[in-house]
Amino acid sequence: MPDVAELLQFVIAGLKSGSIYALVALGFTLVYAATGAINFAQGEFYMLGGMLGVWFVSLGLPLPLAVLSAVTATAAVGALFELLAVRPISDGNPLRIIIVTIGGSVVLRQIALHLFGPDELALPAFTTGSSLKIAGAAIERQTVWIWALTALAVVGLVVLYRKTTFGKAMRATSLNRDAARLVGIDARAMVTAAFALAAALGALAGLAVAPLTQTAFDVGAGIGVKGFSAAILGGLGNPIAAVGGGLLLGLLESLAAGYLDPVYKDAVSVVVLLAVLFLRPQGLLGGSGKEKV
Amino acid sequence: MSRYARRAIVIGVVVLLAVLPLVVQDRFLLKVFTFVGLNALVVVGIALLFGYAGQVSLGHAGFVGLGAYTSAFLAVRVEVPWLVCVAAGALVAALGGLVLAIPSLRLKGHYLAMATLGFGELMTLAFREAEPVTGGVNGFSGIPFPAIGEFVIKTPQQLYWLVWFSVAAAVLLAANITASRPGRAMRALHGSELGAQASGVDIVGVKVRAFVLSAAFAGLSGALYASIVGFISPSLFTTAASVTFLAMAVIGGSTSLAGPLLAVALLTLLGYLDALLPGLSGTTGELIQRFQADIYGLAIIAVVLFAPTGLAGLWRTRRGT
Repeated sequence: MPDVAELLQFVIAGLKSGSIYALVALGFTLVYAATGAINFAQGEFYMLGGMLGVWFVSLGLPLPLAVLSAVTATAAVGALFELLAVRPISDGNPLRIIIVTIGGSVVLRQIALHLFGPDELALPAFTTGSSLKIAGAAIERQTVWIWALTALAVVGLVVLYRKTTFGKAMRATSLNRDAARLVGIDARAMVTAAFALAAALGALAGLAVAPLTQTAFDVGAGIGVKGFSAAILGGLGNPIAAVGGGLLLGLLESLAAGYLDPVYKDAVSVVVLLAVLFLRPQGLLGGSGKEKV
Repeated sequence: MSRYARRAIVIGVVVLLAVLPLVVQDRFLLKVFTFVGLNALVVVGIALLFGYAGQVSLGHAGFVGLGAYTSAFLAVRVEVPWLVCVAAGALVAALGGLVLAIPSLRLKGHYLAMATLGFGELMTLAFREAEPVTGGVNGFSGIPFPAIGEFVIKTPQQLYWLVWFSVAAAVLLAANITASRPGRAMRALHGSELGAQASGVDIVGVKVRAFVLSAAFAGLSGALYASIVGFISPSLFTTAASVTFLAMAVIGGSTSLAGPLLAVALLTLLGYLDALLPGLSGTTGELIQRFQADIYGLAIIAVVLFAPTGLAGLWRTRRGT
């Protein structure tokens, strides 16, 4: 049955890119929960992760250390960006935050261009070896890495949010900033933390996928649209829904590319975005939608 | 500023722009000033959308491209008169805007911004991939000059006047809108959406109309560009171009048309500084070209942080009004 193997192959590819979209969507969700604004620099964190990873490898760092350094460095960039450009917006007006993140995305992209050049760069695969075979379909080893890292990030985030005081403080801030302040939570620090975490998640996604797709200074805008579509598809502001939205979007893209035409792959996310906004703005997994929309 | 002083400045600027081609004979410089006008046409619409209706678009280059390709296709493949091509370009862009605006603007928050970014990326993809219609990456060439009946508009002077005449018409329309009921409605919702709604403003309708009008202006600009330059390609209509348009509107300032128009002139001319100032060394010119996007990005951040009302606001503060 070659058709089943083909379908399975498309599903694997879909869940692979879907995991990446899920990580980027989580970044959007974290910043949205903390500020009420869409962070247009989210895609640039993905780009920075991959580019910094390549750079650290070229400096001679072993791959695991290079990946870890790239995630940390991007998180620091995210925090720094928040401190320098978002925190000074005293009224917290989401329109102003959005404009600042648009400016920030341009600046980050240009810095990457000046530092690393305009060429496409590749990261070595995390582990070498032939693809795994399941029911006639092949799974590249890097895909397994993508799934594992995504799962790890999601579980880590859930533990952070549910179990730690820090995570509870972040949740409290996103529910009601003023009330959180009254019980002694440093709400501004929580916004900085949200940017740092979002940057780390974006960087992780960019690093995990860089061995398969290569990376360049200008990959941020495209992945930003997809991550945001995934976040909207699940329901903006809900981390679990963002992961579901990411996986679903990846599947839809992969099936459209496989059964229709690869050209349509990049159109899927925009169509999904508009369709969700039209039909079900609270997202597939969102509740009544009254509080967020 | 008194009404008379304001009127005098406006008349002065209009006269200056009108006689410029009689003074400047250099073909390249005239072309640069024509490009300023083409950008101004787009930014007038974005100034309405951003400055008055408080909405962000990151996809207006897509509308410019939609207008350009529509008019080019009609002119070359269908061979319809130029005026029809230009009107169709603006109309198709407006329709695209309508499709995008209705779902995104029904919701609170800034979904339109991301929807437009996605739309822009999608348009770039479409221009590149729909090769039978658009010519693909190699672009669309051989687009005829503007012509009204038998009269072909083709000297740099005539093309300059054509573009700036369109800009004048667009600015006049925009100024009328901002000075009348829809303009007051836009300003009201920029101040407080809830307050505007409570006062009976149809906030979704106002935003949708502002967006569709801005898309039409962008489409018109694209259609004019196509017939003036004669060649278009997907690399002209990218998200980077959309960000540039938005930067011009942001730097120009909200609830103003003059501010964004000034910003268009300054930022467009920045790219051609070496042609404008012959004394400028080649390396300085190159440096500016290389760091142009950086300048836009940093300027956007600086304006939001330090001068949220933009150039227009700085002017108003200085005048104490």
